[in-house]
Amino acid sequence: MDTTSPTSDHDLMLAVRDGDLDCMGELFERHHGPLFGYLAKLTGNRAAAEDIAQVVFQRMLKYRHTYRDEGKFTAWMYHLARRCASDHFRKASSAPLAVDPSDLEDHADDSQAADQSALASDDHELLRKALGRLDRDDREVLLLSRLQELSFAEVASVLECSVGAARVRAHRALKALRDHYFRIQKENLS
Amino acid sequence: MAELADNKLDGAVAAEVRAHMDGCEACRQEFALLVPLLSALDALPAPVPSQGLRAKVMGHIESEKLTLRKEFQWASSIRAAARTQPVPGPSWVRVLVGALGVTTLVVLGFVLGERTATQRQLADLRVRVDTMGQLVEQSVLQKRTAGDRLETVLTAARTTKPDERVIDGLINSLAFDPSINVRLNALSALYGHADQEVVRAGVLACLPRESNALVQISMIDFLVASRAREAAPELRKLSLDTKADNDVRDSARRAIDLL
Repeated sequence: MDTTSPTSDHDLMLAVRDGDLDCMGELFERHHGPLFGYLAKLTGNRAAAEDIAQVVFQRMLKYRHTYRDEGKFTAWMYHLARRCASDHFRKASSAPLAVDPSDLEDHADDSQAADQSALASDDHELLRKALGRLDRDDREVLLLSRLQELSFAEVASVLECSVGAARVRAHRALKALRDHYFRIQKENLS
Repeated sequence: MAELADNKLDGAVAAEVRAHMDGCEACRQEFALLVPLLSALDALPAPVPSQGLRAKVMGHIESEKLTLRKEFQWASSIRAAARTQPVPGPSWVRVLVGALGVTTLVVLGFVLGERTATQRQLADLRVRVDTMGQLVEQSVLQKRTAGDRLETVLTAARTTKPDERVIDGLINSLAFDPSINVRLNALSALYGHADQEVVRAGVLACLPRESNALVQISMIDFLVASRAREAAPELRKLSLDTKADNDVRDSARRAIDLL
């Protein structure tokens, strides 16, 4: 996300920090979709993802004074999201549920031909299952680096590790996903 | 490899990896498997949240705005009162007054008049404290846990150069927070800013409303440490209050002597 234009996320968050809370509405509009997507895929549970996303925005307001001038908004937001998700998992006192395809609605492109849609839908389901089988840590790094399109420097900041470690973890997670993906594919064929 | 597939590697590194893959069958195979997987991952549709999420978050923003407005109004009234505190006049005024032979009685009347004005401002603040306190206690403040509120106060205390809002927030916590621990920590955080008129006026305005002896004594200590002479009338009143805790009355008496 651009951090130099007058209406960058960073500028909006600085305005929130300075008391202009209406700017939080704009940040919500920009980020609630990707944030919810991340949490839904991380938890495998839509209702939990909505609850956590709500808490993330509440905490952004509550801790707005701690937002730093040199900070990067998305990294800060996902850092809070990660903590909120950890609180959720701790409260639930169980590992996250494996991703249930029925929990994550399919939004196939309407313009695709029906057979193409069906194929894509099968592929998505396969991939969701594979994501669901990953460890939470692997799923987390993959979601941040791949689906949320954060740079490795940002991922490292969110995960509180070095950039090199973030790269290695993402690579390992991708390999694990590939293994699960092809295993499930084989299971389906047999 | 993922970065190579995404064309995110710089030219030299990408060329190096490709050169390696040309001679490595295992890496070539892995890359061939990875590319469609990454494409599939990127094409995965994003789940869409319900409209309920927007309603809840926007509702929370409005609620926070309301709290901020109320807190700001109260704190700014303290700030305004602090700014209108009587300041010593220039020495030539005093010389002129002396030269004109104004009687001691007139000077005394002037001093008493100013004191009455200050007391009026403080009385007005106390009314606001009580009214706002009820409003805040019944609204958003109650929805947060004491731990959360304490964390906010401690965060504010750690701020090296707090602006007016942070100071106002600490004064508001001292005035309104139902937790003794939070109020004590807010007071402790205000020590570093005791040189500000608004901080001393704020603590003084909170003193008559405070019901806990420990916090009352801590506030008295604060007023003594910050040499808030304007607190003397309030301390005298407290020292004579038979309903007040004996330790609080003793502290108030000692504070009057020290001030």
